[in-house]
Amino acid sequence: MSRINDVGGMQGFPPIEHELDEPPFHADWEAHVFALNRALLGQGVYNLDEFRDAIERMPPEEYLASSYYEKWFHAVTTLLVEKGICSATEIHGG
Amino acid sequence: MSDDHHGSAAAIAAHVRHVEALLEERGLVDPTELDRALVAFLARSSPAGGARVVARAWSDNAFRERLLDDANAALPEVGMSMGGGLQEQRLNVVANTDTAHNVVVCTLCSCYPIALLGPSPTWYKSEAYRSRVVRDPRGVLREFGFEPDPDVEITVWDASAESRYMVLPRRPTGTDGLDEKHLTELVTRNGLLGVAAV
Amino acid sequence: MAELFAAGDDVRTTRVDPSHHCRLPRYARGAVGTVLELQGSYRLADDSARGIPAEPEPVYTVRFQAQELFGSGNHVVTVDIWESHLAPAKGTSDER
Repeated sequence: MSRINDVGGMQGFPPIEHELDEPPFHADWEAHVFALNRALLGQGVYNLDEFRDAIERMPPEEYLASSYYEKWFHAVTTLLVEKGICSATEIHGG
Repeated sequence: MSDDHHGSAAAIAAHVRHVEALLEERGLVDPTELDRALVAFLARSSPAGGARVVARAWSDNAFRERLLDDANAALPEVGMSMGGGLQEQRLNVVANTDTAHNVVVCTLCSCYPIALLGPSPTWYKSEAYRSRVVRDPRGVLREFGFEPDPDVEITVWDASAESRYMVLPRRPTGTDGLDEKHLTELVTRNGLLGVAAV
Repeated sequence: MAELFAAGDDVRTTRVDPSHHCRLPRYARGAVGTVLELQGSYRLADDSARGIPAEPEPVYTVRFQAQELFGSGNHVVTVDIWESHLAPAKGTSDER
C-alpha cells in the first residue's frame, strides 16, 4: 500500500517538535543541496516529479531515518546516476 | 545501506562538495552562480513577504477581495510574486473567519509557497505533522499552543498537486490604530500556515 | 479543454494502488467528496515522474468530510486531485 512518503493519516508518529525562529537552513551543506537541486531542475536535468519519485523510492527505513536535506541529496545523486550524468562510482567512491 | 546518508555533518558536507565539483567539471553548475542565486532567492522569499500581503489585506478590503479571488494577480501590488525562478505556481489564499479556520499541509512531500515564503520550517516537513494534521488538526494545533473555539470549523488543505496554499489570519482585535508596517510585525510564519492564530 | 466536473459535483476518488509515483494520497482513495474549484490543467504527475508524455488535464480541489476519510472527526480536508483519479459519485454504488 503506497510508498513511505504517503504518510497522511498514518498513526503512531510523535508530537510535533517546533523550533522558534527557525533559520532557512541549519548547515551550509543544506543550502548547497537546495541550490544545486534548483539549478538542476532549472536546466531540465530532471523534472520535479522525477525528483519527488526519487525520494519516494528510498527504502522506507532509510527514508524515515534521513533528515529532509539528506533525502534531497539522496534523490539528486540517484537521478544524476540514472540520467547518465555521473557514474555511481564517481559519486560514491569506488 | 552504506553510511553515505547517516554520516557526520562533516562527511555529508564533504560529499555534497564532491558532487558539486563533479557537476562543475561537466559545466552543469557554476558555484559562484549557485551562491548568487541562493542569496537572491533568500532575499526575495521569506515569511516577511507573506506578512506584507496579510497586512495589506487587513488594511485594504478591495485588495483582500482581489487576493482571495486571484492571489497571483494580486501579489505584484505588494511587490511579491509566486515566480521564484522556476515555473510560477498558483497560490490560493484561504481566509480565516470567526467560524472557519484553515491549516496547510503537504502530506505527500513538502509542497509550500516557497517563492513567497522561502524554505519551509522543519516541522512542516516532518512525518509527524504530515501524518497527523489531516486526521487530528485540533490535537496538532494544541501542540503549537493554539486552540480554536470548539464551534469553529477547521479545514485542512493538502497541497497534493500544483497549487500552493497560504492562510490569511484574522486581524487581531485592538489593532485598529495600527498602520500597515506595524500590522506586518504581528504576522508570524506559523500564522500563515494556520498553526497559530496570527 | 473540457472539464468532466464542476464546482458542487460529488465525486469518488479511484481506488488505485500503483507501485509508481502517485499524487492521490492513500487516505483519500475510494472516498466521496465534493468539487470545490478547478485549479487549472497540468500533466499527470504519475506519468511525468516516469518520463511518459502526458497532455495536461484538469486538477480539482475536492472537499472531504473527515468522517468519510477516517471514520471520525468533524473537520474538513481538501485534496487537489487530477481528473484521472476521479469518477462521478452517482451511479457508482457498486463500488466499495
